Amino acid sequence: MGEAVTAMAGGPAVLARGMRRRFGAVTALDGLGFEVARGELYGLVGPDGAGKTTAIRALAGLIDLDGGEARILGLDPAHDDSVRERLGLMPQQYSLYRDLTVAENLRFFGRLATLPGAVYRERSARLLALTRLAPFVDRRADQLSGGMYKKLALSCALLTEPEVLLLDEPTNGVDPVSRRELWGLLHEFVEHGMAVLISTPYMDEAERCHRVGLVHHGRLLLEGEPARLLVEFERAGHPRPTFEELFVDSIGRAE
Amino acid sequence: MTGAALLRSLRRVGAMAGKETIHVRRDPRTLALALVMPVVMLFLFGYGISTDLDHLPLAFADQDRSEASRALARAFEGSREFEVVAHPMTEGVESLFRTGTAVAALVVPRGYQRDLLLGRKAQVQLMLDGADPVVGNQVLAKADAIARAESQRLAGAAFAGLQPPLQVKVWTRYNPEGRSALYMVPGISAFLLAITAVMLTALAIAGEWERGSMEQLFASPVGRLEIVLGKLLPYLALGLLELLLVVAFGALVFDVPIRGSVALVMLFGLVFLAGMLGQGLFISVVARNQLVATQAGALSAMLPSIILSGMIFPIENMPLPLQAISRLIPARYLVHGLRGILLKGNGLGVLWPDLLAMAIFAVGILALATARFKRRVA
Repeated sequence: MGEAVTAMAGGPAVLARGMRRRFGAVTALDGLGFEVARGELYGLVGPDGAGKTTAIRALAGLIDLDGGEARILGLDPAHDDSVRERLGLMPQQYSLYRDLTVAENLRFFGRLATLPGAVYRERSARLLALTRLAPFVDRRADQLSGGMYKKLALSCALLTEPEVLLLDEPTNGVDPVSRRELWGLLHEFVEHGMAVLISTPYMDEAERCHRVGLVHHGRLLLEGEPARLLVEFERAGHPRPTFEELFVDSIGRAE
Repeated sequence: MTGAALLRSLRRVGAMAGKETIHVRRDPRTLALALVMPVVMLFLFGYGISTDLDHLPLAFADQDRSEASRALARAFEGSREFEVVAHPMTEGVESLFRTGTAVAALVVPRGYQRDLLLGRKAQVQLMLDGADPVVGNQVLAKADAIARAESQRLAGAAFAGLQPPLQVKVWTRYNPEGRSALYMVPGISAFLLAITAVMLTALAIAGEWERGSMEQLFASPVGRLEIVLGKLLPYLALGLLELLLVVAFGALVFDVPIRGSVALVMLFGLVFLAGMLGQGLFISVVARNQLVATQAGALSAMLPSIILSGMIFPIENMPLPLQAISRLIPARYLVHGLRGILLKGNGLGVLWPDLLAMAIFAVGILALATARFKRRVA
């Protein structure tokens, strides 16, 4: 760990402040702001089109903001190349090479990160074991199931052992067993101090996060620890509520 | 950049190039486009031009109707290179050309025999269908040879060495410069390199966008220039292999000489390819879509390299504005350079301006493409 990391240790790992971005007539981000601390798993929950992907792309430095700021470890991801050495991203869409095998995809991203051979071998073996992809190393990515593919994409993003991990709907299209496995993996990494920002359209996944933010129309409607949010909602007169009821209620009142 | 940073950068370029090589190996279409198509095209172009055309349909407009004019007709027919298919009046020739019934017409004017007998200069007119300049040139060369032989025969031994009494006055509209496979093969190399290099790169980069992998690349530590270099290097190697293949086939099959240095041929190929890869890169950066990139790539590579490079149509015959535009086309310099190296054995002392022009284009277009290639997905 370098001095910069130590210096930033006090600040949030991920900082979004008043992020605004329009695409033509569509407002994707309308002053969205939140923070993710080290060792925290923060869930960005919201329906399709809420602005989750745009927020994650802005934090990864892949789009320019019209206003507000995005910071990763205190650095501007759009202009500071050193961010990418410490950031992992798993985009929502398929982003690996489908004609490459599991092993080839991993090796490619390992080489892009210029990992020394021994380090790469140790990490890839561990990730393959964790994701239970080891028996499929020679299988082409286009022949993997949805869940296996996501686990491979996650492994590729984790090869560099990033300090911050951004995951855009990683559980979308994944069977319940694989979903559970993915969340289990994420919690293991978070325990080691990684800051994880995950977006999901599945309201029920909120309870798996340390904190959640409900996004709608590019704004944060609700934020807090899942259990506390539910308790407050119950006190407001909704007996034994689910997250889905809480979020649908919040969105309904916002519109 | 420190030594360690440079080493890491080179490793990332190597990683990109290695991955790209796997794509190429696993996609037979790419390999076919790069290696099979050039050979097929070379055969098509080369044979289409070098093989002798037999029994060309000739219209014979005999206005003299004399023994001498019939003798001339026999001379043409006896050559087996021409076949007299019609005996029109002069006015009918145009429609024969239009329907493709004849590719040439020999018009023997009234008084032809009389002029011959009186020892005056006898003229016949050869009209060519210039729509196909290649056939036109073949006809021209053969008709000229037959007319010379016939005039030698008429003149007899007594006139040997003197001005031949019969002269063919020729009117060719499109392609006055004589050409052969020797001249075509270097030209085809430029065309083939241009088209494959531009298309392959356009496809390769636009493919990253379409596949969604560009987002992952942009979020990884790899730099833009490293992506560009890594993506281009395999295609540069493939292009050079293609050039070697074309030159080797040209030499083996069409007896195209290699009078100059093969290393210089490769150097010209390298600089030209760098420009074409830059063009492909620029197109795909702007298009971000394989279909559009393919079409734009094919058009922007094919048309100028066929039409404005001097490969088929001599640049000297173009209207001045087109001549000026052709100066912006790198294929022009490669065609000129390769012809110089292969056919004339020229070296850099003569051809450096061509190399310089291609290098300027390559640097310019690569700079433009890299500048347009932003690390942004939207």
